[in-house]
Amino acid sequence: MTTLVRAEQEQTGLGFTLERVSLGYGRDLVVQEIDLRVVPGEVLVVVGASGSGKSTLLRALAGLLTPVSGRILAGDADVAGTSGERAMVFQDDGLLPWRSVRRNIELPLRIRKVGRRERAAAAHAWIERVGLNEAEDKLPRELSGGMRQRVQLARALVASPRAVLMDEPFGALDAQTRAQMQRVLLDVLRDTRATVVFVTHDVDEALLLADRVAVLGGHGVRTVLDVRGTADRASLRDRILKEL
Amino acid sequence: MKGGRGGRWSWPVRVASVLVAAGLWQVLTATDARLWLRFDRLPTLDEIAAEAARQLATPVYVLDLLQSLIRILTGFGLATVAGVAAGVALGRSARTRDVLLPLLEVVRPIPAIALVPVAILLFPTDEQGIVFITFVAAFFPIAVSTRHAVRALPTLFEDAVRTLGGARRHVLWHVVLPGILPGVFGGLSVGIGVAWICVISAEMISGEFGVGYRTWQAYTLVDYPAVIVGMATIGLLGWLTSAAVELVGRRITRWLPRGERTTT
Ligand SMILES: Nc1ncnc2c1ncn2[C@@H]1O[C@H](COP(=O)(O)OP(=O)(O)O)[C@@H](O)[C@H]1O
Ligand SMILES: [Mg+2]
Repeated sequence: MTTLVRAEQEQTGLGFTLERVSLGYGRDLVVQEIDLRVVPGEVLVVVGASGSGKSTLLRALAGLLTPVSGRILAGDADVAGTSGERAMVFQDDGLLPWRSVRRNIELPLRIRKVGRRERAAAAHAWIERVGLNEAEDKLPRELSGGMRQRVQLARALVASPRAVLMDEPFGALDAQTRAQMQRVLLDVLRDTRATVVFVTHDVDEALLLADRVAVLGGHGVRTVLDVRGTADRASLRDRILKEL
Repeated sequence: MKGGRGGRWSWPVRVASVLVAAGLWQVLTATDARLWLRFDRLPTLDEIAAEAARQLATPVYVLDLLQSLIRILTGFGLATVAGVAAGVALGRSARTRDVLLPLLEVVRPIPAIALVPVAILLFPTDEQGIVFITFVAAFFPIAVSTRHAVRALPTLFEDAVRTLGGARRHVLWHVVLPGILPGVFGGLSVGIGVAWICVISAEMISGEFGVGYRTWQAYTLVDYPAVIVGMATIGLLGWLTSAAVELVGRRITRWLPRGERTTT
């Protein structure tokens, strides 16, 4: 446990640099020659209409999808395949249905050959932190959508990754649960230095969570807006909506 | 639940169904019924029961039974290991598909029992030949179900494990193997059934012991009650081993949503 906490403190966020990156499937390009920087430790929210390529972009950052052309750097190394440094949270059903809540959360530690007791302690700490105390031994199918996303969040962060890539993690939740989960996320992110790339199509969610917002559309990045430096949320909101 | 269960009447109905069938047998054989089918040469229930009681007291019966069980468990066990391995490799590796699929597709339509001559030529002892035939019979349903299960597995699980730092072997161990279990057990259920067909047939053709051999021998010796006892033994063994496979399968796949679990 102590070693994990120390690792988390020493860990710095991972920056990303995209240089003239084109992404697509077969012949169809989804985004063309985009340039984008993700600053270490920031929360960058990517918004865009459905089908604009948000998931595609995120999968490329994760190393699940190889760019058709261009370069993606994570820190100063090319992204080549997946890495535990870049954990991903999916919209729904990303949990392994045959593993209990606790065993899902322990999985990244198991992969890193962390010992049983340390694994259990770390998982337990995260279970408390995301408010899953009663559900520890339940299977994913026995949980509500909100609880499943709490598990995914804990599982993504338990091994202290340097970047967390979140693909509309609250998109399938009702408004009330979503607001709750946004608070959980903000609370959890306060204590980590991990870089967060968060995908959503909800502009209000973007403004709530983001340091910066990137708007995706028309096969590219339409604009990147600084949220933290701007007091006038209303006009920011209008500018994003206009770009969508 | 789909298909519906009889609720509390389920067990009484099942027992009654067996009793009615047995009663019908008794009436037809005791009255030497010669309709179009001839029941006059078949033994009555009490003759069968007497023969069963006599056989159960002899070591030969138990030895035959054990011999057949060892054969089927060896063949089926080997087929499980090889079938799952082949199914996973075929489902996940295009190279394996290129190398193995044409061979397997050519061999698959051949009924395993048609391999008896080859098995006799190929193996030093009949024993190994019988196990081989049982193996071949069970191998294909297991390999085919495993391959389909691998291909039906959502890629999302693999993506999740890989972005949590998992390598290929982690995906195999934490995603593929647990994820295909429901499909694999479907294949095992079919596999154990055809394995019994083949072990009994092979014993009838080339065995020196075993339930199948003994049943066929009883027929050639015109000992009809013993034939029926042999058949009933085969039926019971098949039923018990299938039930064991089902039971293990159900325990192992508790995580499945209710509608997708098997019921009997
Ligand atoms: N696996 C795939 N194969 C082919 N086309 C895909 C695949 N995934 C997504 N696409 C296409 O790429 C485009 C962008 O998809 P996606 O990145 O999922 O958008 P978003 O997440 O913004 O809704 C869509 O037109 C979609 O149809
Ligand atoms: Mg998407």
